[in-house]
Amino acid sequence: MTTQLPPGMHIETVDEKIMTLNVGPQHPGSGHMRLIIKVDGDYIVSCDPDPGYVHRGEEKMAEYRNYIQNIPHLERPVIHDSSNILYPYCLSVEELLGIEVPERAKYIRVIAAELNRCIYILYWLAIYGIFMGHSTMFMWPAGDRELFIDLLEAMSGARVTHAYLVPGGVRNDLPSNFEERCLRQVEYFEKRLKEYEAVFYQNPLLKARTEGSGILSRTDAIRLGTTGSVLRASGVDFDVRKKEPYDVYENLDFQSIVMKEGDSYARSRVPYLEMFESCRIIKDALRKMPKSGSVRTKLKPNPKGGNDEVYRRIESGRGAIGYYIVSNNRPEPYRVKISVGSFRNLICMPYLLKGEKLGNMPAVYWGLNYWPVEADR
Amino acid sequence: MSNIGGIIRALNSGVKHLAIKRFTLRYPEQKLKFVGDGFQFNPEIGVGIAGLRGRHILYHEHCTGCQLCSVACEGIAEAISMVKVNETWKHNKKAIMPQIDYGKCVFCGLCVDACPFYALYMTNDYELSSFTKSALIYTPAQLAIKPKISQDVEIKIDDRGASHG
Repeated sequence: MTTQLPPGMHIETVDEKIMTLNVGPQHPGSGHMRLIIKVDGDYIVSCDPDPGYVHRGEEKMAEYRNYIQNIPHLERPVIHDSSNILYPYCLSVEELLGIEVPERAKYIRVIAAELNRCIYILYWLAIYGIFMGHSTMFMWPAGDRELFIDLLEAMSGARVTHAYLVPGGVRNDLPSNFEERCLRQVEYFEKRLKEYEAVFYQNPLLKARTEGSGILSRTDAIRLGTTGSVLRASGVDFDVRKKEPYDVYENLDFQSIVMKEGDSYARSRVPYLEMFESCRIIKDALRKMPKSGSVRTKLKPNPKGGNDEVYRRIESGRGAIGYYIVSNNRPEPYRVKISVGSFRNLICMPYLLKGEKLGNMPAVYWGLNYWPVEADR
Repeated sequence: MSNIGGIIRALNSGVKHLAIKRFTLRYPEQKLKFVGDGFQFNPEIGVGIAGLRGRHILYHEHCTGCQLCSVACEGIAEAISMVKVNETWKHNKKAIMPQIDYGKCVFCGLCVDACPFYALYMTNDYELSSFTKSALIYTPAQLAIKPKISQDVEIKIDDRGASHG
């Protein structure tokens, strides 16, 4: 008797040489996701990423809350990069409601976003280090992250979930003597960052494992729709901060980091070099920021958006994050769609892992700058 | 040969740190110092005042029982509920004040932004752990008490690196 299978399903044929491995779903790095890997000996035949374990329905939740109440839960997908995931939301709501942002608030937002980018990259680097079996590289970034957490704590009042950016500016002004404190800690961090070079990036053991593994060519990177550091590591000069400058990024002095190799080593090195640029942006913004003035435009209680739709995007630690918001004359948005970099980088994982050794899997997986909680939203 | 040089350089950069101060906060003995007395809000200009977003403080003499904090918390954490108090205030006819469940609170501080009467602020007190769930529910009387805190350690940066004093 033959049974009819539902569409899209098939019975797998068993091959004696090929073994199926389930990597995850309990923390193959951080956050829950599963990689179904088929191996022939030590070599990967195919890889099927299986995300969706940490889906929280953020987009649906946003339809039942007003524009201000959405702030605390929309930053939950990436609590390490909470200013950056709120940034496009604030930009699009401002466009929807027609709010002007004060000049000083724009600079404060950029500083908060860049400090948060460093926090995220350091956390990412710490996990990359422990994936490579390099426990020093776990301890150092996890410790130096404290410098930036301390600064954002002084700015916003919370260590991780800041809820600092709001439509119309920021929640509160900078505390007194913040500028000197920020400058001192950022300059110390730049010195510290140079030490990572000898202990990790010029380490022959790391180079032997990551150089030449998981190569993503320039055309493939564009074809697969990757974004952020993965795209820039493959030689495509695309940074939303440069190409579509938002707030005051066009006044600030920085470069986008591009590397041509497109292998795991380049993908691990691009975020590291971006931290130097972030430090440059913070120092430049502190210099150019107006010394006094308003930081938040007062909104009406329960503001309503017109019959309109907007899409704004920014560059986060993991690539471009975009918010598409539709409103229909109500205090709540009609639809909120979040497009995140993590999910778009996930698509190239099966291509990169095919033919790799199983031992290189962690380097390729974490090098994609993939954050499961953000991808599932 | 270059590989051996690279490994020696990597080891050397780690060995240098034996002579450098540890960057560790010894938490229960040392506590980080924060800016100000906690997050506050100025409803006239609609801008907050920087500070740590810890446990709330409620000024009974200002609270009118308008429930705006409770409304602001709806859909975020639903931690605030309005309860009857045995006090008589001219400006608080209903005699209701917020009661906060810290098992639910996410410390976003939007209730402080919502208060138009300078009645609800946040403090530097973040040590709220308890053995029971019911002890996490703070009544208006408990929220009125000013916390006693001793936080004095700051990040110090000198030639020998960063440390917590």
